[in-house]
Amino acid sequence: MNNRSLTTLATLVRRELWESPIAFKWAPLGIGALIVLFVTVSLIIGGRVDAELAFTSDVLRQLAEQPMEQRRLLVSGFLFSFATIFFQIMLLIILFYLSGSLFDDRKDRSILFWKSLPVSDGMTVISKLASACLLVPGMFLLAIVLTHILLLLIASGYGLLAGVNPFTTFWLPASLPRLWSVMLLGLVVQALWLMPIYAWLLFCSSWAPRLPILIAIAIPAGLAIAQHAWTLISSFTLPGFNLGLIMLKRLGSSVLPMSANIEFGGNLQTIEFSEDLFLNYGTVFSYLTRPEMWIGLVIAAALLFGAIWFRRRATDG
Amino acid sequence: MTMTIKARNLKRHFGSTRALDGIDLDIPSGRIVGLIGPNGAGKTTALKAILGLSSYEGELSVLGYDPASQRDRLMEQVCFIADVAVLPRWARVGQIIDLTERLHPRFSRARCMHFLENSKVRPEARIRALSKGMVVQLHLALVMAIDARLLVLDEPTLGLDILFRKQFYSNLLNEYFDEQRTILITTHQVEEVEHILTDLIFIRDGKLVLNSSMEAVHERYVEVMVRPDLADQARALGPLHERLLFGRHIFLFDSADMQQIKALGETHKPSVADLFVAMMGPESAPATETA
Repeated sequence: MNNRSLTTLATLVRRELWESPIAFKWAPLGIGALIVLFVTVSLIIGGRVDAELAFTSDVLRQLAEQPMEQRRLLVSGFLFSFATIFFQIMLLIILFYLSGSLFDDRKDRSILFWKSLPVSDGMTVISKLASACLLVPGMFLLAIVLTHILLLLIASGYGLLAGVNPFTTFWLPASLPRLWSVMLLGLVVQALWLMPIYAWLLFCSSWAPRLPILIAIAIPAGLAIAQHAWTLISSFTLPGFNLGLIMLKRLGSSVLPMSANIEFGGNLQTIEFSEDLFLNYGTVFSYLTRPEMWIGLVIAAALLFGAIWFRRRATDG
Repeated sequence: MTMTIKARNLKRHFGSTRALDGIDLDIPSGRIVGLIGPNGAGKTTALKAILGLSSYEGELSVLGYDPASQRDRLMEQVCFIADVAVLPRWARVGQIIDLTERLHPRFSRARCMHFLENSKVRPEARIRALSKGMVVQLHLALVMAIDARLLVLDEPTLGLDILFRKQFYSNLLNEYFDEQRTILITTHQVEEVEHILTDLIFIRDGKLVLNSSMEAVHERYVEVMVRPDLADQARALGPLHERLLFGRHIFLFDSADMQQIKALGETHKPSVADLFVAMMGPESAPATETA
């Protein structure tokens, strides 16, 4: 990729941010603001009940006396649990964004303007994918970082009132560089893991005559139901391999630790609450070695070629 | 000399409808070509093929590129304005100018701002808040700021007031057009463009009915105003079209003998609109065949 292609790609990704400022900028900032507001209001209401902040200070002093291991688990776990709220909403935003990304401009005919620019259809499709994989996670991660810093500042204020050292009680155990870098890595690997789903949405968005998101859901759902019905009728069993379930499972078991895991067929292990759940690079990297990851990427590449093929033929109306 | 647009046996069909039925075209540079036809004649289909926006059969080369597979490179040299405002409604004027500047290597911001100087279009305004005329003004400013070799206008002034339409074409002629460029226009408002055209193409049912320079059109076609008593005599010469105006018969002839015609009455050059009605009007179809 030469210099000009990179500038073009960066410009197109920026275009996406200009088009969807609410979803990409104000949504993450809004979630952060809501979390900070919720925490502040809880503390103020708590302060009313808790005379002279005796209870709060007691808890903070107890935390300060815990061994470092324990403090790290509590503080970073607390910060991570707020981050998961961001991740769930981010995934929804990305899914809706992708399903409309190659459809909306066909509907409002602005595709005629975009196609009047010397930008290839491949580049257009790649820019949508890059926005979903890099721009949106980046914006959400920034909002998470801001939220974490604000929460730690609030905690530090209460810590000072309670007479504990905010640095050793909160900031150091938060292990921010590690927490944030695991999240960054997790977001990148998650984008790769979900690439076949992303590419499927782009593919549907590229040709659907209307309601691309419904079409994107209806096709695998319809196939899954048909397959279920067929195996049930023909052999009185349920299929071991089902497209709809595979897609759902992939969406549910996202790479980022502590995401909601939708498991079909039982064997939900009891999960021990430990640092491994959210501070471990290894669990994230382990996804890269799974064959499902690479099969998914091959399927994604095929779907992307399909999306570009349809985009090349797409005009208004 | 290389042609700006060269088409051989260009075809496109939708189901059983032949939108383009084997068109041959040669448009050199430095021309302003009017592509005129009734609704559904294949104008927009032809333009879309030329712009690489739809597939087609047959040979087509625009500035040496194959539009279907090389649209991105072709668009460095080609600009177009479609019949409706197609600028993205969510964008701000400044954003659109920024995007075009970054994405188009032949775009000049200074020229664009120059064209917008006397308009009410402000950089911080959102496109959706602009009037239809202002959107067209902005689009035209963007397009004229691009150093392109082919400009395609598909009903560019549809729905605009007459002052704006005059301004539009005068800007186009005075500030944009030169020997290196080609402009291809489709419009229903033929009267407005006929004096700026160098070439005229009529299209009907996917076929070219007329494809000629304006000089040739003026030499070839003549209208004569005939008194009722001479009408039969005029009809005997095989006119293309006949109409009545204030009790006089007006006959339109194709490549007629001027001596005979002048004997019938006062002659003048037909307007493009008259020619259009004569060649494309429903009642004229049999006459075209006999002519």
